Amino acid sequence: MKRIYILIAVIAMLMGGAGCSDYLDDPKPTDVLTANEIYGSKEGVQAYFSGLYRMFRGQYEYEDDSYRTDNGGVYSMYYARSVKGNDIIQRPTWYLYDYAHENREPTYSRVRITWQFDYEMINHANTIIKEVTASTALAEVDKPAFIAEAKAMRAFFYFQLYLEYYSKDSGLKTPPLYKEQVTEAGPMSEPADYEAFMIQDINDAIAGLPEERINKSYMNKSVANGIKARILMALNRDWDQIEVAANAAYGGDVNSALDASIYAGGFNDIDASEVLWGMDQQSDQSNYYYVAPHAFADHNQDAYFGMFVNSAFVSEFTATDVRNEFRNGYGAPVGNYQQFISDKFIFAFDSDMHLMRTAEMVLVDAEANYRNGDETTAHNLLFALQSDRDPSAVKSTNTGAALLEEILLERRKELYAEMGVEWFDAKRLTRGITRNGNHRVFVTLTPNDKRFFLKVPQIEIDANENIDDTVNANR
Amino acid sequence: MKKNLFSMLVLCLIGLQSVFAQSREVSGVVTSAEDGLSIPGVSIIVKGTTIGTSTDFDGKYSIAVPADGNVLVFSFVGMKDQEVQITSSTINVVMESESVGMDEVVVVAYGTKNKRSLTGAVTSVGAEVLENQIAVSPISSIQGAAPGVNILTSGGQPGENPTIRIRGIGSVNASAEPLIVVDGVVFSGNLNSISSSQIETINVLKDASASALYGSRAANGVILITTKGGKYTKKDATISINARAGVSNAAVDLYDYVGAEDYMKYSWEAIRNAELPENATAADYSTAGQTATNDLITTLGYNPYDTANPVGTDGEIVSGANLKWDSDWYDALSNDNAFYNEYDLSVNGSSDNVVYFINGNYLKQEGAIIESEFERYSGRINLKAKLRDWMEMGTNTSFSKSIQNYPNQSGNSYTSIMQWANSIANIYPIYQRDANGDLKFDANGNKIYDYGNVSGQSVNAVRPRLGGENAVSSSLLNEILYTRSNLFSSTFMKIDLHKNLSFRTNFGYERYVYDSNEYDHYKYGSAASVAGRVSQQRTITETTTITNSLNFKKDFEDHSLAVDVISEYYDYNYDRLSAQGTGFLPGVKVMSGSTLPESVGGYVNSERLESYMGRVDYNYLQRYFVDFSVRTDGSSRFDSDNRWGTFYSVGANWILSDENFMKSFANKIDLLKIRASYGELGNNRGIGYFPYYAAYDTGWNNGVNTGVLQGGIVDQEIKWEKTALFNVAIDYGFFNNRVTGSLEYYSKESVDLLFDMPLAASTGNTVVTTNIGSVKNSGFEFIVNTVNMHTDDIYWTSTFNISTNKNELTKLPQEEIVQGTKKWKVGKSVYDFFIREYAGVDEQTGEALWYMDVEDTDGNITKETTNVYGDADRYYQGSSLPDFTGGFGSYFKYKNFDLNVQFNYSIGGQLYDYSYAGLMSSLDRPGQQLHVDIKNRWQKPGDKTNVPKLINANNDYNGTSTRFLFDNDYLRLKALTIGYNLPESLLKKVNLNKCRFYFQADNLWTISSLEGLDPEQSLAGTTDSRSNIMKTVSFGVNLEF
Repeated sequence: MKRIYILIAVIAMLMGGAGCSDYLDDPKPTDVLTANEIYGSKEGVQAYFSGLYRMFRGQYEYEDDSYRTDNGGVYSMYYARSVKGNDIIQRPTWYLYDYAHENREPTYSRVRITWQFDYEMINHANTIIKEVTASTALAEVDKPAFIAEAKAMRAFFYFQLYLEYYSKDSGLKTPPLYKEQVTEAGPMSEPADYEAFMIQDINDAIAGLPEERINKSYMNKSVANGIKARILMALNRDWDQIEVAANAAYGGDVNSALDASIYAGGFNDIDASEVLWGMDQQSDQSNYYYVAPHAFADHNQDAYFGMFVNSAFVSEFTATDVRNEFRNGYGAPVGNYQQFISDKFIFAFDSDMHLMRTAEMVLVDAEANYRNGDETTAHNLLFALQSDRDPSAVKSTNTGAALLEEILLERRKELYAEMGVEWFDAKRLTRGITRNGNHRVFVTLTPNDKRFFLKVPQIEIDANENIDDTVNANR
Repeated sequence: MKKNLFSMLVLCLIGLQSVFAQSREVSGVVTSAEDGLSIPGVSIIVKGTTIGTSTDFDGKYSIAVPADGNVLVFSFVGMKDQEVQITSSTINVVMESESVGMDEVVVVAYGTKNKRSLTGAVTSVGAEVLENQIAVSPISSIQGAAPGVNILTSGGQPGENPTIRIRGIGSVNASAEPLIVVDGVVFSGNLNSISSSQIETINVLKDASASALYGSRAANGVILITTKGGKYTKKDATISINARAGVSNAAVDLYDYVGAEDYMKYSWEAIRNAELPENATAADYSTAGQTATNDLITTLGYNPYDTANPVGTDGEIVSGANLKWDSDWYDALSNDNAFYNEYDLSVNGSSDNVVYFINGNYLKQEGAIIESEFERYSGRINLKAKLRDWMEMGTNTSFSKSIQNYPNQSGNSYTSIMQWANSIANIYPIYQRDANGDLKFDANGNKIYDYGNVSGQSVNAVRPRLGGENAVSSSLLNEILYTRSNLFSSTFMKIDLHKNLSFRTNFGYERYVYDSNEYDHYKYGSAASVAGRVSQQRTITETTTITNSLNFKKDFEDHSLAVDVISEYYDYNYDRLSAQGTGFLPGVKVMSGSTLPESVGGYVNSERLESYMGRVDYNYLQRYFVDFSVRTDGSSRFDSDNRWGTFYSVGANWILSDENFMKSFANKIDLLKIRASYGELGNNRGIGYFPYYAAYDTGWNNGVNTGVLQGGIVDQEIKWEKTALFNVAIDYGFFNNRVTGSLEYYSKESVDLLFDMPLAASTGNTVVTTNIGSVKNSGFEFIVNTVNMHTDDIYWTSTFNISTNKNELTKLPQEEIVQGTKKWKVGKSVYDFFIREYAGVDEQTGEALWYMDVEDTDGNITKETTNVYGDADRYYQGSSLPDFTGGFGSYFKYKNFDLNVQFNYSIGGQLYDYSYAGLMSSLDRPGQQLHVDIKNRWQKPGDKTNVPKLINANNDYNGTSTRFLFDNDYLRLKALTIGYNLPESLLKKVNLNKCRFYFQADNLWTISSLEGLDPEQSLAGTTDSRSNIMKTVSFGVNLEF
């Protein structure tokens, strides 16, 4: 009869678990945080921003494909724009389709990644604005700066998307505009609304952002001003505001803003004084060989050896110009696309990538002065930069349109391979791009050529009830 | 000392028993019903006593039976036990094989059932299939042997597990893998840790009735692996040694690549064609030809000839030009005659109250690719003991360690070997060359691997494809090493509380340690600039499962009733630590040697499951059977409000052949059984551990600043996926069970499918996983086994099976969802291709054409061709899922010789061959390897061909279209074994029970509708530069004593 006790024990064992209800509550994720934890403190929100800046320089995966070297954060968007111009020649390696202007179909990777990445970042910004506003744990006094930073972020990515999708006077609509966090997809938007929203955001950001920041990979008031200058340039309006914004961005003192030593440094350190904003690459948070332009431009460190420079562009530099870092590294025959390489960028796994420099803002200031009718100031600013780069520089006698062209050429000489300056200028000024010199693939883009913008990706058309195939009818 | 005393006491007791009993002598011969041969080693026991003996080499026995003994029990593994009344002093017994009869015991969920009472769909695969194959991962050997089970082996890396799908694709985004249960415990380690020689049976539970007690995770079927054991009968220890060794090669022939000479000419043509204007004149041709001649070498970067411009303006190699190299990359990257060897030692034996099985196994197999290898040590002890007449305890415990050398051999990483072979043309040298094409040597006079990234050399320096790498060198210099160790133990205690009531508790414990260690060389390759990199991950998976069950069983005259009540607690922990560092001295490959740490990471995931189950089995007259199972589970994967799910099944069967009205057919029909089941089962796997948890992911640090990122949108209401399963079947046995088998129909449809609902990317998220949509699978399965001939010398059996599966989406959240090469739409399958339709080549221009729909003003749609890929429409083009799969085999034995063959086949699937598409490019990317079929390209207006022109300019000619979609039908001789057993007369002299020599061939022969590619690729029917499945030819010897 002892077995009756065993039976009792058995029944107790069978039913035992029912009593401890937290058995199933115990497992919790260990490597994630909840919204309450994020918006419960200043540090939490700050960490979210840090995550977003990390995205700028990270690889980016979209649904179907795995990682591709030419698909990443902001750097890949910028370098894709760089190789679309006339000054740079891309060897047949990653970005070769961008170089050939053949990466704009609805299913192509550049199209998908541009759309998906920009909108993901916009959604993050919208999430921050919503959650920070709603948070009761955050001090009210801390909120405006966060919201301003999120708006700067939102303006920046709406602007990136805008650059890839607008076409002047084409009547084409701009991509969907979400003024707040959404779960339902919206229709294509009216360009006027879209533009107004970007401008509003960046103005709010300038008003709310302080100058202080953790380091140069974060946005501050100056960076927001720089973004504003670029936005208004793209829209070719309010040059008076552009002048103010550019001045605010570089500080207004052209001599202290410029420092030619950056050219010796290899454009891979955001601590260089000319850098206003950059991507702070770390050897322990490396993007390995994905780093553009460095992994392509540098022919001394083992990487892609992908970037060559147009001989016609090389001939624009004087021998004494610190920027004349071109050489025939392969002993290639004249006219061969491999004739010139550039030593502007030095590649390492911790090479920082630059998003904005004071030198750009000085030239924006020059152009704005020119547009605002002050050619003298414009020319002085231009020459300040020219003489900083080349001690033997001689001030030109250009006036009028010729002076504008000189400013535009200087922009290319100063900023090539950094942000797609040539493509940006061609687009905003409704000029074409005509390839000459020793290019590998010759293309001629007429002003407002369709190859200046992208089609709407198929994944959006398939999942968005407000957009159908006809959206790409004239794209 | 105490132990010795105890043993002596035991010995004495046994001894006393035999001394005091009055006994008589009974003797006889035991033979097999199957072949009439005598059986050595049969255990014979006097019922109710511990007195026993076993038959000798000639099947003869002699036993002293005490006065009160009147029944002898004969037992032998694989044979039905027989009880014989002692009526004379000579008793000859004919033993019958167990597998033919219906009394066979089948392992089902949480217990066993005899085959007769089974209401569910269970396919059992035993040693006869497992032993005849080299299956590093044991499940792969059931391919073709179990109807309704689709097994797919992707690639030739030894030690990889196949993809398994039971009765179609039941889950879309959640895991559609079956649940794997080893000795009653859900298994979470790697299947390659279990050696086939340790397995008694692999049972596949396919319908609701069979698997309902695993209901919460059984929606996609259950595979039960039962390791070897035995019965409580007195039997001498059997020691079995098995050794085999062989060589492996690719199971199918590979693509034919063009040689260096042709490659140069094709490249020239591609450049020339790119230079030609529209409506080119002869003068244009001449100019373009000159440009091509001049540009060829700079475009390719390399010149394998000793002449500066080796291809003339006529597109031919200039006279006097000599080829300096013609690299055969695949040859350099693949293993010819990869070596395989395996040694196995098994011991098993039993007494009245102890049964044991001990096994040790060593296996080493080289892969299809250089450096690819798998080596495993595994051991097992299975032991059970009757402690009292009411108490039993036992444990099945195994330990295994494996080391897998796994060079990249699929996917598109730079070092991926098959991608390399399919990408890099023969004109690129394996070793560095100078600008003149001569070999370069290092300071020690050795050749230097060419990474295609030599700085400052005008030619033979920078490779346009996969620069900075060399797959041959990276395979040799880098290391990708996976080390796994697995401790798995299932221990039970069973107590009979009453003659009808028993209690059983089972404790399952598993500890699986996985270590992935990668070393990138300090001097060459991707980590050269940081002096090498080591990345290591170590994960510890620990699982405990506690199962308590009460089993009640009672027969009341014609009625039998069995009731089980079970509770179970499952706890799973996954603990991961990873580190990565750079800066290593030569020869140092461990983390401590790192001068610069690159990253560290680690987290713990855990999961729990709390389950209560009940099962009732009832039968009347052993003719009408009904069972009902229910299980309710709480899973930590769901939020507390949606955590619990209830799963159930009902099943019934009717032994029609036992009815009186069937008696007149009894001489022809041995069995006719109709069975049916219905139930709802669940799935919670493959959706992450906390799919309901809206979270911010850590690890997105920006410099020294902690960074997090919102992890995407989640459905907090997410709950169990449920599938409703229906099954109906007839089991039959005719002509004295010479013909047996079954015919089944099944239908499964999801109730709350876990689905990644696409979102418009503009909302910032692309998917949300939720319970929406529905997928249905239905089909037939048929199996027939026959005994074709059965005489004294010849025993010949055959088996054949075929299954069909129709996979159909029945509900979706949006009208259609494009998924890569597939489009999901109600009425279509998960794997229906939806791609552009190739329309051949424009005869005038040589451009590729595709079809598009054109709508006229009346709204009529006609199909027209277009040369703009983007304008072409996509159409449904068939499915990657086969219409029919199955297998057949035969076993033939003549005297001491035996032959076993097993085939498997798959018919009606489609395969999209990305690799071939890459090899048939028009050289828009210079340096891309070509297939010899490129010879059929369009060359001049008027050419009729399906291969577009070569042109060194971006184009879509080899974009995804039906151009590279092929029928994928195949038949494979999966296993062939020829064996010879030494005759007993000889064995006797050397004191052996068995000595068998055999020749075994795995995947020896494949007939396939594809060329250059193994037909087994992926469920989705797409290629991924996978290495090839191997065929292995081996010889072995098996000794038993």
